[in-house]
Amino acid sequence: MNMLAGYGMDTITMAGSLEAKLAAMKRAGFSQVMLMARDLVTHPGGVDAAVQAVQDSGLRPTGFQVLRDFEGLSGHLHSYKVDIAKSMLQMCAATGSKVLLACSSTSRHATQDLDAIAADLKKLAMLAVPLGIKVAYEGLSWGRTVNEFTTAWDVVCRADCPNLGIGIDSFHIFAANTALDDIEELDPEKIFLVQLSDFMWQETPTFEERMTTARTFRVFPGEGVHSEQLAQLVMRLDRIGYRGDYSFEVFNDDYQQLPLDVVAERARRSAMWLHQDVLHRTAPLPSWTRQS
Amino acid sequence: MTLNKPDRESVPEMPNRLGIAGIEFIEYATSRPQALGQVLENMGFRPVARHRSREVTLYRQGSMNLVVNASPDDARVSGTVDGQPVISAVAFRVQDALKAHTRCLELGAWGVASHAQAMELHIPAIHGPGSSRFYFVDRWQEFSIYDIDFKPIPTVDQHPPAVAGMSYFGVVQYIGAGRSSDWLTYFEHMFDFSSIPDEERFGILPKGKLMKSPCGSFLWQLVEPDPWMESGDDSPECLQRLGLGVPDVAAAVKTLKAQGVEFVESSQLHPEDRGALTRNVLGSVAFELVHK
Repeated sequence: MNMLAGYGMDTITMAGSLEAKLAAMKRAGFSQVMLMARDLVTHPGGVDAAVQAVQDSGLRPTGFQVLRDFEGLSGHLHSYKVDIAKSMLQMCAATGSKVLLACSSTSRHATQDLDAIAADLKKLAMLAVPLGIKVAYEGLSWGRTVNEFTTAWDVVCRADCPNLGIGIDSFHIFAANTALDDIEELDPEKIFLVQLSDFMWQETPTFEERMTTARTFRVFPGEGVHSEQLAQLVMRLDRIGYRGDYSFEVFNDDYQQLPLDVVAERARRSAMWLHQDVLHRTAPLPSWTRQS
Repeated sequence: MTLNKPDRESVPEMPNRLGIAGIEFIEYATSRPQALGQVLENMGFRPVARHRSREVTLYRQGSMNLVVNASPDDARVSGTVDGQPVISAVAFRVQDALKAHTRCLELGAWGVASHAQAMELHIPAIHGPGSSRFYFVDRWQEFSIYDIDFKPIPTVDQHPPAVAGMSYFGVVQYIGAGRSSDWLTYFEHMFDFSSIPDEERFGILPKGKLMKSPCGSFLWQLVEPDPWMESGDDSPECLQRLGLGVPDVAAAVKTLKAQGVEFVESSQLHPEDRGALTRNVLGSVAFELVHK
């Protein structure tokens, strides 16, 4: 069994063409990839060619990102976002991704009423049903109303819809300083995506610092100063029974100018650290034991 | 003393917010309308009218209207493989078609663009599972929608009686693995369908989840692939077959056999008092008889 089976990279981490990114991930031993809408629409051959590239790679899509600022709007803003959501869902389905990531709204035009937010997310989930897609709702640490996974979970519970669940991103938990004990409140079956990354600063008190760090200076799990917390998070998720994928959501300006294989190798080391040192999962026996 | 009894046991109401009142018609799409027509005629349906502008024929028996759409665009869009007919639409009778359509769109349904030509009826529709559609028809009491879009076939009885007392009983929908709860929620939320307990089943094919329409006049059955088939059966979701209610299954089987209909007769599955299943013809068409 491939030890990297439960871990995947995110296309946003690397520079280059979609094909080059997919090939580098595959060479490093990964079997899944978190896709971004931009991978499809910026492909020189168009969306169809990008979808074909994903299929040809043999990598399984972990999920598809990202729908932003969807919930809480009204009138023409709401209609506009529903149209955007439909296009995202169609692209998500085209790639064979089963999970669409939706991030909590940052918009000052959106209502802060949690029931209204839940109703909008239920609508999004209903749109996703015929396409066979699950929606993972993630609290951005700079979200206006929902900026911690605890509030995101509250909203998901209010919406009470089987294909609407929560997306966990370690960055936002550490940036917002959310207590890890609250992981125990989650239903593991309703965690549709876990994105992991670390970063180099101890504190990110303001929304501006969180945004800048999140978009330019995340590192792979085990590479930053929150490794111990990250290990705690993963162990807690494991303890409540989460058995889904871990995807590395690493935005990093430095990695954007390194050879793809160098970046993919860092991701592989990170996955091995999680798999063996943190989760203590079984590793294949060393080769000498198999010699007769 | 008050005469109004307080709601002591909170008996749930059965809402029917679309005013659903049964199935107005079922539509098949096929590029082989003659072959399907023969199958339908064996089952007792009679061609009674043809569409004014497109290659569409209306079949009827008793209370059941059935439309065969061989219009090249529709037959292709509906994903008919090798001319295999598919159930491409179910039309619900509702209180107010526009209101029903608007409400469903607000709840997260995908609208379908109309193909209506000049002077033809625009029947509002939303996307259903796979390539199917749900239509909303509100003109089924004061006059017939078929009088507008269809021309009667001369000398043919426009209201042929039902063979063996058959009437629409339900629709069987094949869904993806683990998708029952998604679709249950969808039908409950969109159409106010309600779940029927697993102990309560009709006919001889009890698998999956069963729902009842809010009007109580038809059932909807969701069938997932067998668990041990999961990796092998990833066929697209579809409306798989129709259930036809009959007062006397044995009598209906006898009559239909005399008309050339073959039934599945194996040791596990064969005609019984509770129901019977016709042999698959044209690769995809089967009917289930259910004791009503």
